[in-house]
Amino acid sequence: MDDTGNRQENARLPGIVEVRNLTKRFGSKLVLDNVSLSIEKGKTTVIIGPSGCGKTILIKHLIALVRPSEGQVYFEERRIDHLSERELSRVRTHFGYLFQEGALFDSMTVAENIMFPIRQNYRVKNWREIEDIVKAKLAMVGLDGFQNYYPARLSGGQRKRVALARAIALNPEVILYDEPTTGLDPIRSDIINELILKLERELAVTSVVVTHDMRSAYKVGDRIIMLHNGKPIADGDADYIRSHPHPVVQQFINGQVGDDDLAVLRMNGSAGSAQFLPRDFEQ
Amino acid sequence: MIGALGAKTVQDVVDAGHFGRFAWRSVLTSARGCAARRTYPLVWTQMNQIGVRSVPVIMITGAFVGMTLAVQAYDQLAGMGLEEHLGVLINISVVKELGPVLAAVMLAGRIGGALTAELGTMNVTEQIDAVRSMGTDPIRYLVAPRLLACLFLTPVLIIYADLMGVIGGALVSFLQFGINSRAYWDLSAYGVDFWDVGVGVVKGFFFGAAIAIISCYKGFTCQEGAHGVGQACTEAFVSSFIWILALDFALAVISKNIYEIFWPIKSLVG
Repeated sequence: MDDTGNRQENARLPGIVEVRNLTKRFGSKLVLDNVSLSIEKGKTTVIIGPSGCGKTILIKHLIALVRPSEGQVYFEERRIDHLSERELSRVRTHFGYLFQEGALFDSMTVAENIMFPIRQNYRVKNWREIEDIVKAKLAMVGLDGFQNYYPARLSGGQRKRVALARAIALNPEVILYDEPTTGLDPIRSDIINELILKLERELAVTSVVVTHDMRSAYKVGDRIIMLHNGKPIADGDADYIRSHPHPVVQQFINGQVGDDDLAVLRMNGSAGSAQFLPRDFEQ
Repeated sequence: MIGALGAKTVQDVVDAGHFGRFAWRSVLTSARGCAARRTYPLVWTQMNQIGVRSVPVIMITGAFVGMTLAVQAYDQLAGMGLEEHLGVLINISVVKELGPVLAAVMLAGRIGGALTAELGTMNVTEQIDAVRSMGTDPIRYLVAPRLLACLFLTPVLIIYADLMGVIGGALVSFLQFGINSRAYWDLSAYGVDFWDVGVGVVKGFFFGAAIAIISCYKGFTCQEGAHGVGQACTEAFVSSFIWILALDFALAVISKNIYEIFWPIKSLVG
């Protein structure tokens, strides 16, 4: 496919999740503009782009948490975007979703949070077995022993790891990560990156990571897609993205502000005019 | 100007449609929840939050309604030499109208605000999306238990309010105005029948359902940020209050018509 003119031509594995001609509008605001892409099974696909470019909205479409204005979403070649919430319940158990702030239930302990999807989807009879599952999931993210903590007592990084343990509670085939390293220091960020790689390796899951952290994108991504103004403008592996000729891609991956943004800063007042002294407010 | 008015009207119609759909799904899911045993612990928890903790405030509300009615009505009745009829006036007002309505308004403030704030916070912190993402219907898990708890407990709380209203009114009548208690209770028993109490209690089912559905809807649709949650709580209370008054009027008309249809039979039986 060469619809953007920027797709790296490689042999692709079959797509486990696909979006076709996806458009999303909120009122008159166009957030996603005719996006088509296929998420390859067993690989980690990273979606990058500046804040507000529609990355989170795009992954919410993959699990039908948001419905498209136009276009379709497929999971294992079955269309899911038009299903009722009830029908979607089964489909969603194939996914794990790590929310940006973790979205842990603050009225529940860590163990109860991880048990939640299991208790909701299966008839639990053997509580000992459930406790063992919780222990195993927490051990996987390095937090065994935190079962009785409430989320409010955890640090940001620990909350994300507990949320990740909850996301993998149902042994999903696809894990969606929404800004997994945002708000974390570089060490904690790297722990999350290592966890993403570990889960891919040990559980053989398909991962979709939305981020604007390029270090994380290069480390975990088998494939990187850059969104700009609701459209993919670059799609390939880390080397391809690094050497991509599009100026917007280069500005983003190198963290450089564009001329347009600089022009706005220059036009809208100088530092001198933005300084005030108490006497300016006195009569 | 006309364009803006048209856009506002269209938006209001769309919002009403969303609310209607939410209410319908909530009622259907709650009906199914009654038959599902795994819903019971959730309903039980909500009953404790919604019902048990509301008892003191509801009893205080009921008592003051009865006491105030006694103070306000005594002079009028005493002027006509009918002070012993004070019990009829107080008790029929309390059990049929003021007890249910004021108890429901108090519940809308206490429970409605808490439900909207809790669900609104869950909404803005993506906890409701998290529930959905794990294959659970948030209407079943979050709304149905709250709706069922409000539905079952509002009538019970209204009975508490009625009881305290009757006691409060009687105490003021006996202790402050020195009305003969035997005449007070005899006339009350004659003037207030089971139908009057039943109408007030049945209103509780409708008020409870309205408070729960409106509060949950406002929580589910609240805007982001502290301001969004605060605004949703205010809107939930105002909407619940208006719905309580509108339902009270509609139920008063309906109960009156039903009473008039069956009144001849009652007099024949009596």
